[in-house]
Amino acid sequence: MDEFTEGSYSSQAQSRSLRRTSFMSQSSAQTVPATWPQRVTTPVLRHRLSAASVRSDASETDRSEIVAPVPRRHHILQTESRHWLGTPPLSPYSPPVSPFSATATSPARSRKRISQTLSLNNLSGHDPRRASSAAHPPSLHPYKEHKSEDDRSMARRWLRWMHQENLKAWIVPSLVLASIWVKWAVGLGSYSGQGTPPMYGDYEAQRHWMELTIHLPTRRWYTYDLQYWGLDYPPLTAYVSWLCGIVGSWIDPSWFALDKSRGIESPGSKVFMRGTVLFFDTLVYVPALVMFVRVWQGTRSSRTQNLALVLLLLQPALILIDSGHFQYNSVMLGFTLLAMNFFATGQDLLGAICFTLSLGFKQMALYYAPAIGTYLLAKCVYLGPREGSKLFIRLGIVTVTSFLILFLPFLPPFAPLSAVLDPITRIFPFNRGLFEDKVANFWCATNVVLKWKLWAAQGALIKLSTALTAFGFLPAVMTLLYSGYKLRIEPVTQEAKTTPQPPKQTPILPLLPYALLTSSLSFFLFSFQVHEKTILVPLLPMTLLLSGSSPGELTFELGMLMNNLAVFSMWPLLKRDGLGVQYIALLVLWNRLLGYNPFRTTKRSLIQLASLAVYTACFAFHLAELLISPPARLPDIFPVLNVLISTPVFVLVWLWSIKRGIEVSWALGGLGSRSKATQKPASGSIVAKPSVEVSADGEAHNSSESVLPRASGMRTVSLGFAQGRRRKMSSRSGSVDIR
Amino acid sequence: MSQTHLSPIAARPSLSLAAGEKLVHSLPDSIPEDSATAIKGSEDAARAQKTGRFSWLELDITRTEWDILIGSTCLKLLLFPAYRSTDFEVHRNWLAITHSLPISKWYYDTTSEWTLDYPPFFAYFEKLLSIPAYFVDPRIVDLNNLNYNAWSVVAYQRTTVILTELVLGAAVLRFVRGAENPAMQRIISASLFLHPGFLIVDHIHFQYNGFMFGILMWSLLMARNDRKLLSGFLFAVLLNFKHIYLYLAPAYFIYLLRSYCLSPTYTLLPGRFLSLANAVILTFLASLGPFLLMGQLPQLLSRLFPFTRGLNHAYWAPNFWALVTALDRILLKVVSRGQLEGLSINESGVASTSRGLVGDTVFAVLPTVQPIHTLAITVAFQVIYTGKLWTNTSYKSFVTALTLCGFTSYMFGWHVHEKAILLVLVPLSLLAAEDNAYFRTFEIASIAGIYSLFPLLFTPAETLIKIVYSVVWALFVLRPIHRQVYQFPRTVTFVVIDFLERIYIMGFPLLQVFVTLFPLLARRRAAASAGVAEHTDREETRASPLEFLPLMLTSVYCAVGLVWAFIRLSVIYLTRKD
Repeated sequence: MDEFTEGSYSSQAQSRSLRRTSFMSQSSAQTVPATWPQRVTTPVLRHRLSAASVRSDASETDRSEIVAPVPRRHHILQTESRHWLGTPPLSPYSPPVSPFSATATSPARSRKRISQTLSLNNLSGHDPRRASSAAHPPSLHPYKEHKSEDDRSMARRWLRWMHQENLKAWIVPSLVLASIWVKWAVGLGSYSGQGTPPMYGDYEAQRHWMELTIHLPTRRWYTYDLQYWGLDYPPLTAYVSWLCGIVGSWIDPSWFALDKSRGIESPGSKVFMRGTVLFFDTLVYVPALVMFVRVWQGTRSSRTQNLALVLLLLQPALILIDSGHFQYNSVMLGFTLLAMNFFATGQDLLGAICFTLSLGFKQMALYYAPAIGTYLLAKCVYLGPREGSKLFIRLGIVTVTSFLILFLPFLPPFAPLSAVLDPITRIFPFNRGLFEDKVANFWCATNVVLKWKLWAAQGALIKLSTALTAFGFLPAVMTLLYSGYKLRIEPVTQEAKTTPQPPKQTPILPLLPYALLTSSLSFFLFSFQVHEKTILVPLLPMTLLLSGSSPGELTFELGMLMNNLAVFSMWPLLKRDGLGVQYIALLVLWNRLLGYNPFRTTKRSLIQLASLAVYTACFAFHLAELLISPPARLPDIFPVLNVLISTPVFVLVWLWSIKRGIEVSWALGGLGSRSKATQKPASGSIVAKPSVEVSADGEAHNSSESVLPRASGMRTVSLGFAQGRRRKMSSRSGSVDIR
Repeated sequence: MSQTHLSPIAARPSLSLAAGEKLVHSLPDSIPEDSATAIKGSEDAARAQKTGRFSWLELDITRTEWDILIGSTCLKLLLFPAYRSTDFEVHRNWLAITHSLPISKWYYDTTSEWTLDYPPFFAYFEKLLSIPAYFVDPRIVDLNNLNYNAWSVVAYQRTTVILTELVLGAAVLRFVRGAENPAMQRIISASLFLHPGFLIVDHIHFQYNGFMFGILMWSLLMARNDRKLLSGFLFAVLLNFKHIYLYLAPAYFIYLLRSYCLSPTYTLLPGRFLSLANAVILTFLASLGPFLLMGQLPQLLSRLFPFTRGLNHAYWAPNFWALVTALDRILLKVVSRGQLEGLSINESGVASTSRGLVGDTVFAVLPTVQPIHTLAITVAFQVIYTGKLWTNTSYKSFVTALTLCGFTSYMFGWHVHEKAILLVLVPLSLLAAEDNAYFRTFEIASIAGIYSLFPLLFTPAETLIKIVYSVVWALFVLRPIHRQVYQFPRTVTFVVIDFLERIYIMGFPLLQVFVTLFPLLARRRAAASAGVAEHTDREETRASPLEFLPLMLTSVYCAVGLVWAFIRLSVIYLTRKD
C-alpha cells in the first residue's frame, strides 16, 4: 500500500469509530443528550478508540480492536447500522455496475459522493437522521420500519429482515424452497386439456411422448401416429421424455402403457408429471438463474443480487405456463441462460454447447439464434483475425459436433441418412398457416384491419413474414457486429509473448441481452406460427434486464409492463386451462414483492402514464369479460381485444430494445465517426468511460486507464471500490502499455 | 442485549398500570404515546394522536404487515384446488341445512351422514355464510346436492376460510401493539397467522380453525390488556362456536374467578361476579335459547357429545395413549412368542390392534382403558395446574395454565383427534420467546405437533406443499427466537437433555424419508410377490399390518416429543416462582 491508500483507510476507520461512538451514545439511553459534540472524548469513548490514535496507526490489529468493544449483535439488530456505515446516497442500490445499466449513474461519481460523505462525517460528525434516532432509546425500535422510497418492495423488506435476523446464509435456500413451493402449488391446479377428450392438451402431448419413446425404437419416434400428438420437438426433448417414461413406468407401468394410457388422468400420474417439470426446472433453470445473478451482477451487493433472484425465480409467466399449463420451457430457457452465463465468464465453447442443447430441446430457442450467433461472430471479429479465426473454427467444430451427437440415432450408421428428415420435417412445420390462435403479434393485430389471408397467398405471406422478421432483428445483428469490429483488438506486432491469453471478457457483452430481446421479439412479432406461450422467449431477456434495474428507471417500468402484459396476453389460454385464481395470485404476489404499483406513483413519467393507460385497459377488459357475454356476431371479441392491448406494448419494447442496443453500442465507443477509437481514447471515451467500466462484471476496459489517473484508481480501490477493476488493471496492463 | 430481557408475553408495564388505575371496565389507551411514536415514524405519530375510545378498531397496519397479509393470501389462493377432506362436504352440508331448513330441524336433519354437531353459534355462522352462497351458486345450499364439488363451491368455501381467518390476523396484530418486546411479538404473531397447522387444517383439509382461534386470541388479548370481563365474554362466545374449547375452560374459570371476581384478600366482589356471570349466561342464552324454548336441548347435546367412539382415532393422535397402544403391541409380539408366561392375551385385542386403528381400541395385553379413566387423569392434572394458577394469577401464568389444560386434554383425552394439537400450539406460541426453557418446549412441541398433522394430508400431491411450507416456517420462526433466547445449559444433565433433544429433532427428516419411501418400496415388493404367487390372498393379508407402519411410527415418534414437551412445560410451570 502506498501512502495515499493508507491515509484514506485511516479516514475511513476513523469515521467508523466515530459512528460507533455515536451509536454507543444511543445505546446508553437518555443520559447523553442527542446532540452532544461527537469529538469530545467521554468515558463512553474507550481510550484506544480516540480518533487520534486511530489515525496514527491504522493497522489490521487496530481495526479488530475498534470492532471489538461493542457486541456485534447490537449492530445487526440496529437498523441504524446502515447509517453507521455512512452510505446513505449509496443505499439501497449499489452503483449500477452491471452490463444492463450501461448509461446509468457513473460509478466514479457516486463514489465521489461517498467519499464526500465520509469526510463530512469526519468533520462534523453530525447526521440529521442519526440525531433524530438518538432521541429515542434504541431498544424500543430495533425493527422500526423504514419509510424511505427505496424500501417500497416487499422482497427488499424481507431481505433486510433476513439480514437482521442473521439468516443471511439461508436467503438463497429459502428462496429456492419458496419458489419450489409456489410452482408446486400452482401445479395443484388443472393443466392444459384436463378432462377434454379426445385430444386433451399439451399435458397429454408430453405424457404421450414419454409413452411412445419408451415403447418404440428410436427411428419410429417421429413417425408414430402423427395425428395423435406426434412428436414434434427436437431430440433432446425426446430423450428427456424417454428418461421420464422409464422412471415413471418403474413406479407405475400403467401410466405409460402404449396406446392404452392415452388420456390417463390418475392423480398419481399427474403428480409424477408435475414432478418431472419441477425436477428439470430445479435442475437446469434455477442454477442458471443463481449463476446469472452471481456472474452478470457480480459487482453488486449480495442483497441486490438476491433481490434480482427473487424477481427471476418467481416470474409469474413462466410458472403459470410450466407448472400450470404444463410445458418444459424452463429447460430450454435455462440452457440459453447458461449459455449467456458462460459467455460472460468467457467460456464460449461451453456456452455454445449449452445453446445447442437449448435448441435441441425446443426449437423456439431459434428466436435467440441470430443474437447468439452474431455475438459469437462479433467476438471472433473483436479478437482479430488470428485469435478470432481460431475461436471461430473451435466454435464451429463444437457446435456441429454437439448437433451431430444430438441427432446421432437418426444418422448413419445407426439409421439411413433419410431418417434424419423425419425429425426435421416434424420440428419445422412450414405447411401450417400464418397464425392459428389469437396471439399478440403483428399479424394477428393488423388482421383486424387488413385481412391478410384474403390479400395474399400463403407462400407470399410466409416470405413476407420471413423478410419482416429478418428486418426486425437486423439492428441487433448490426450493432453487435459493428461494435465488435470497432472495438477489435488490433493485431499485435510483437507476437504471442506479450498477449499470451486473449482477454476473457468482451466489451460487447452488455449488448447481448438487448440483442437477444430484439431478436426474439422480432420473431414473436413477425414470424409465422407463433403461439401466445412463445412470449416467454422474449420475456426472458427482458426479465434479466429488469432484474438489473432499479425502480424508476425506464428499464424497470418497461420490464414490469412487459412482464405483466405477457401474462395478460396469455389470459385466454390460462382461462381455458382453469388457472384464473393462479393468474391473479401470482401477479399480485410478484408485483407486491417488487413493490410495483403503477396506480400509486405520484410523479409520473411518460412511460408510467402509458403503463397506467395500459393497465386501465386490462382491468376494463377483465371487468367487461366478467359482465358482458360476447355478442354472437363477434364471438372472438375478447381475445382480439386482448391482442390489441398487448401488441402495442410488445412493439414498444421491441423498438426500445433496438434503441437501447444502439445506445449501448455507442456508449461502448463503437459508433463514432473515428474508426480508430480504440487507439485514441480521447474526448469520446470520457462519455464512454462509465459504461466501459461497467462491461461484464465491472472490469475496466483498456480505454479507462488513460482517463483515470493511476493514483485515483488506487484510491478507489482503497475505498473498497471495484476489486475487480484492480484485478483487471493488473491483468490487462501489459496489453495497454503496448499502445 | 444490554438491558434486561423484556418479557414478550406481558403487556408493556405502562399499559397495564394505566389500565389498573382506571376501572377495569374502561377502555385502555391503545398504545402509549412515547413508545408508539418511537416505533413508527412521524406518519404514525399522527395516527397515535387519534387514540379515542374505539381506537382499537382503526386500521393500524404497517407495510410489513400488509406484506404478510397479501403474500399469505396469494399463497392460500394457490391452494384452492388442493385436496379437500370430507370436512369440506360437512361444512357444505351445514350451509345447506341452515339455509334450507327452519331452525327447529337443524339438529334433527339426517339427509347427509354429516349431521350438524357444532354448537349453535357455529350454526348461525353457517347460516350467515349461506346467504351469499345462495347468490354465488344456488346449488351450494341445496340440501340434496350431496358431495357437490363444483368450482363455485370450492372457491366460495375456501374464500370464506381466508376471510374469516382475518379475525386471527387482527387479533395477533393487536398483540404486537402494546407488547413489551414488539420485535419478538411480531415474529410470534406472524408465526401464528402463518402457522402450518392452519395451512394444513384450514386451507387444505378444510375447517374454520383460524377464525375460532382468532376469537380465542382476542380473548387472550383482552386478558393481557386487563379487560377480563370482555375476555370471559369472548371465551363464552367461543365455546358456543366449538365445544372443543371446553378443554381450556378450567383455566379460564379459575383465572377469571381468582383475578376478577375475588379481591386479593379472597373476598368476593359481587358487582364483578354478577357482570361476568350475566355476560356468560346471556351468551349461552343467545346460543342455546331457541333450542331451549323448542325443548331440543337433549337432542342438541347428544349431537355435540357422542360417546360412541373409541380411545384412539383412526390414526393415533400422538399422545400418551399412542405410546400405551404401541407398548401394547410390542408386548403382544413378545407374549405371542411365549417369552412372557405371566400375561394373558385378550383375543379381541389382537384383532383390534392388528387391523385396528379404526373404532374401538381394545388392548391385547394391557388392561383396557375406559372413558372414565381418561377423564379422571385429565381432571387430576388440570387440578394441579389450576391450583398453581390460583396462587399466581399473572397473565403469563394464565397462558401457561391454559396451554397446560389444553395439553392435558390432548395427552389423556378420549378419542383425541390430531387436529386438537392446535389447542396446545397456539397458546404455547405466545410463550415461545419468554426464555430458553419455554422456547425449547415450544420448538419440540411445534415440530412434533406440526409433523403429526402431516398424515391428515395423505395425498402425494400435497406432500411437498406441507413439508416445504413447514420447513420454511420453522426456519423463519425458530431461528430468530432461538438466536434471542438461547442459553447454553448449565449442568451436565441439561447438556445431555439438550443433546438428546437435538437428536430427536434431527430424526424428523429421517422419519420423513422413511414415510415417503416405504409405501413405494412396499408396493414394489407386493407387486413382485404378486407376480410370483398370483392367486394367493395370503400375501395381501400379510402385507396389511405393514401398511400402517409409517403411520404408527409417525404417531409414536411424535408422541415421544409431545409427551416430553408436556413434561417440560409442566415442570417449568410448577417449579418456577414467577
